[in-house]
Amino acid sequence: MSEIYVITSGKGGVGKTTTTANIGVGLAMRGKKVVLVDTDTGLRNLDLLLGLENRIMYDLVDVTEGRVPYTKALVRHKKYETLFLLPTSQVKDKSAVNPEQLVKLCEDLRKEFDYILIDCPAGIEQGFQTAIAAADVAVVVTMPEISAVRDADKIIGELGRADKETIKLIVNRIRPQMVESGDMLDMADIDDILSIDCIGQVPDDIKVVTSTNKGEPCITMEDSEAGQAYRNIVGRICGETIPFMEFQKEGFLTRLKRRVFGN
Amino acid sequence: MDEIVKIKGGKTGLQLSFAPGASFEAIRKDIEGKLASGSGFFLRGTLVLLPQDRLQKEEQEALQKLFHRNGLICRTMTPKRAADKPVRSGQVSRKAAAGEKPVQPAAAEMTVVNRTLRGGQEIRTQSSVLVVGNVNPGAQIIAGGSIDVRGTCRGMVHAGAFGDTQAIIVADHLMPTQIRIANYIARSPDQAEKAEKAERASVKDGHIIIEPIER
Repeated sequence: MSEIYVITSGKGGVGKTTTTANIGVGLAMRGKKVVLVDTDTGLRNLDLLLGLENRIMYDLVDVTEGRVPYTKALVRHKKYETLFLLPTSQVKDKSAVNPEQLVKLCEDLRKEFDYILIDCPAGIEQGFQTAIAAADVAVVVTMPEISAVRDADKIIGELGRADKETIKLIVNRIRPQMVESGDMLDMADIDDILSIDCIGQVPDDIKVVTSTNKGEPCITMEDSEAGQAYRNIVGRICGETIPFMEFQKEGFLTRLKRRVFGN
Repeated sequence: MDEIVKIKGGKTGLQLSFAPGASFEAIRKDIEGKLASGSGFFLRGTLVLLPQDRLQKEEQEALQKLFHRNGLICRTMTPKRAADKPVRSGQVSRKAAAGEKPVQPAAAEMTVVNRTLRGGQEIRTQSSVLVVGNVNPGAQIIAGGSIDVRGTCRGMVHAGAFGDTQAIIVADHLMPTQIRIANYIARSPDQAEKAEKAERASVKDGHIIIEPIER
């Protein structure tokens, strides 16, 4: 009963790749056999977030064009034995892989892995159409910002057109203080427009940046709020019922400082 | 010089008429030429009406395909249906005066959209439209008749798009980016507020007005 997830968003920079890496690591931490497929050909990033760039031998294009079997292109994660990356090419472009090839590859991967996570490129063009072709479940990542929500809405429409019925939402980079002060869209606003099942609310967390640079996803950090949010998402994917976390608003010191120095 | 294909602009769309005795090949060539010249007549989404009695079925289909490829909507005039349904008097007399067969407005028919219309999606129809779901920002409805949204309407809605000023727009929460009825346009206030009650937009005295309704 393996499942193929595509992580998509429409807009760039909302955290598709970060989300893919974190969910992948999270599932592997639970002992699941996971493969992450990067389809952002030409702009590959997923290997960097996992710290695996220097281990890449072959890529997705080599596999789909039949030069090597996929087993040769898979890169095993250095720490989590059950996590594999299928990187894509940095020199080719999106036209190098077509939907049929990816569907066939995913059918092969399905036999061996519990979860197949496909990291989708931004946009709604060919790369997107290819990435979603094989998916059972689509995870739409958005941010509390009107342009990101608008693009997510468009993507949900496109997914519907491609007969992808199971669509989940992750809202990334929430800033609780800004939501509280009314300067940022809150979950009700987003749900009003998108009205799809939400499986995650991830706060904006500077640890995401440091972990990205280190090649170690923040889901492994016990003290990271975003990491906790990703652990909850992984739990929900595995079928657990977990309530959404209450975000830490402002620390006592910040509040004190604000009162003394006035913002 | 007598042209092979004549174009006459009407409120409903472009009415084509063909010179007597012209062959289908000549007609098709002439239309292709006119489309290619981009003379401004054939804007995307314009309704094109073909005379009903002049063409074979295959020929009609060939022309329809040609227009569709160029983004135009093509219909053959159907005078039979117009005869057995009442047509608004103004239209009849105008068409009759022009010596043309009247076109039945399809406003009495209804297209049902049983889903939420999301950004970038578009419904374009001669008939009225019922949406069971929301119309999200970036979505468009262009209807010949009226529009009813059983949900929140945040997109662009155009009722009576072919000239029917009697068309109305109704929504449970009516907060579209733009409302158009026939050739009237209204936009939402810059500070949008949540519409709590169902509302109806219609044209009165040359303005689009919005009033709450019970339902």
